[in-house]
Amino acid sequence: MSFLEFAFWNIWSRKARSLGLVLAIAFAVMTVVTLAVTSSGLEQSAAAIISIGKADFTVAQKGAADLLASTIDQGELTRLQQVPGVGRTVGVLVETENLGAATPVFIEIGIAPSDLAPFGVTILAGHAYGATATDQVLVGWRAASTFHLHVGSRFHANGTWNTVTGIYSTGNSFGDSGAMFPLPAIQGYNRVPGIVTMVFVKDAKGVAAATVAHRIDVNMPELTTIRTASQFGRADRNLVYLKAAVTGSTVLAVLIGAVIVGNTMLLSVFERTRELGLLRAIGWTRRRMVALLLGENLALALLGAIIGVVLAFVVTSGLEQLPALKGVLHANYTSGAFGRALYTAMGMTLIGGLYPATRAALLSPLRALSYE
Amino acid sequence: MSNPSTPAPAPSPAPLAIELRDVVKVYEGGVRALDGVDLAIEEGEFVAITGPSGCGKSTLLHLVAALDTPTSGTVRVSGQDLNHIHDISRFRREQVGLVFQLHNLLPQVSVRANIEVAMFGSRRSARSRRDRALELVQEMDLGGREDRLPTRLSGGERQRVAIARALANEPRLLLADEPTGNLDAASVERMLGVFDQLHETGVTMLLVTHDHSVAKAAQRTVYMRDGRIAESVDAR
Repeated sequence: MSFLEFAFWNIWSRKARSLGLVLAIAFAVMTVVTLAVTSSGLEQSAAAIISIGKADFTVAQKGAADLLASTIDQGELTRLQQVPGVGRTVGVLVETENLGAATPVFIEIGIAPSDLAPFGVTILAGHAYGATATDQVLVGWRAASTFHLHVGSRFHANGTWNTVTGIYSTGNSFGDSGAMFPLPAIQGYNRVPGIVTMVFVKDAKGVAAATVAHRIDVNMPELTTIRTASQFGRADRNLVYLKAAVTGSTVLAVLIGAVIVGNTMLLSVFERTRELGLLRAIGWTRRRMVALLLGENLALALLGAIIGVVLAFVVTSGLEQLPALKGVLHANYTSGAFGRALYTAMGMTLIGGLYPATRAALLSPLRALSYE
Repeated sequence: MSNPSTPAPAPSPAPLAIELRDVVKVYEGGVRALDGVDLAIEEGEFVAITGPSGCGKSTLLHLVAALDTPTSGTVRVSGQDLNHIHDISRFRREQVGLVFQLHNLLPQVSVRANIEVAMFGSRRSARSRRDRALELVQEMDLGGREDRLPTRLSGGERQRVAIARALANEPRLLLADEPTGNLDAASVERMLGVFDQLHETGVTMLLVTHDHSVAKAAQRTVYMRDGRIAESVDAR
C-alpha cells in the first residue's frame, strides 16, 4: 500500500464527513467561479465596445462611472488631431436601448457616414445613411438576423421608426448585434448635441501607438487612452468596483470556507486522536502526519473544485435565462476562472487545515493513545 | 597456553539493550510513578515486568519506548541516551517494536496495510513493504487473512497483527504492554508461543504484565512496587 492509497482509504472510510467537506468546498468554489465568469462576461461585453472600431487605441473621458457615461466635446477632436503622431480620429456616440425581453441591451452607435469605412465598417447590403438623416439606420448583420430585417425594412429604435438603408459587418459580434445612426440624429434623440462617447484613434504611419497615447495622456489630462482591455478601468470605474467586489467576495468565500474546513478537520482530528497517536508511536514523523492530513483534504478540495465548477456552470446558465438578466449577463469561462476555482479550494484547505494538522502533529502519542 | 597462576579472565558481559539509571518520573499533579529505578537488560534477554496496578510498570515501558521522558535519571536503549536522541521518530520506527493491550489497529484498512503503515518512512519500496508484510502474516500464522479488515478478526488474531506490525522494521527490541490482557486462555498460550519464537531469534523482549502466569514465560521477572523495583528473579 502506498501513502496515497492509505490517504484514499482514510477518506473512503469516512464518507459522510468527506462528502460534507467536498460540498462545503464546492459551494464556495461555485460562488467564486459564478462571480468570476459573470464579471468577466460583463468586462468582455464592455471591452468589446472599444474593439468595434479598427483603431490603434480609444480615447474616453477619464474616470467616468462607466464607459457609456463618458462625454467628450466634439471640439476636443480638433485638439486630438493636432497631437503629433495622430493620424485619424473617429468620434462616436454609443448608447444602449431596451428593445424588449429578448434584447434588453441593444447597442446603438452614432457615427458620421464618412467615418464608417475608417471605423472598419463594411456594408454588406444597401448603402450608408445620409449624414443628417433623422430616420435612417444601418443594422449589423446579427441584429438583422435577430429582428428579420433587410434593406428597406422599418425598424423602431432611437425613439422613432427608421428605414434600414443597409446591413453592415464590423467583424465584432458585439458591434454586429447593434445598429448605427447618423451622429446628429442620435445626439438629438439623447439631447447631447456636440458630444461623443469616445474617439477611435489611428496613428500616423511609423509612430508607435504607445508613444501617441502617452502624448495624449500628458497633454489632455481630462481624457484617457485605452489600448488594451486591462486598461479599461481608466474610463470605467464601475468595472473597477465590480472587479474589486469580486476579489473581496473571493477572499470572503475563502475565509468562510477555511473556517468550515478547519472546523471539519479539527473534529476529524479529535475523532482520530488514537489513530494519530498510534502513528506517532510507531515512528511517523510530524511532517508525515501533516502531509497525510493536508493531503487527504487537498484531494477532497480538488474534488470540491471540480464539482464547484460544474455547479457554477449550471447556476450561471440558469441566471442567464432569468428574464431580468437575459441579454445582460454573459458568462465568460476563462482559464482564470478555473484557476480561481483551484486557488479557492486549495486556499480554503491550506488555511483551514494548517492548524488542525499542526495540532495533530504535535499530539503526545501517549496522551493520544489514552484518549477516549 | 594459559599461565595457571593468572586467573582466567571473566567472561565479558553481554552488551546492554536497556539501561535505566536512577530514573524518576513525576506526573503533573505530583504523582510519583517511578522513584529512582535502576534496571539493566542484556541484549537478547526476555524480561517480564510485573506488579500491582499503579506500580509504574507501564510508565517504565513508555520511557523505554521514547513515548515519554523521565523527570530525572537516564534511559539508554542500545547505548543511546533517550534524553539526547536526535531523531525520535526514527528511533521509534527502527529501534523498537511496540505492542499494546488494545492492539490499536487501524479499522479502515486491511491486515496487510496495518503492517505496512509501520514501514512508511523506512527505505523500503512499496513492493518490499508489501513482501515484508506478507512474510509477517505467514510468520504470525495469519495466512489468508491479509486482506481482511481488523474488525473481522478474533482478539488473538488482532494481537498477532499488532505483533507483526511491531516487527515490520525488524527491531532488536520488542516492548509489549499487557499484550494478553484481553485474550482468552487459548489465545494467551498461542501468544506466548509467538514470544518464545521471537526470543529464540535473538530479539530483546520487555513484557509488562500483571498476570504472573504470563510473566513466568520470561527469562527474568522484575517485580515493581510503588515506583521502585522490589525484586528481580530469574524465572527459568
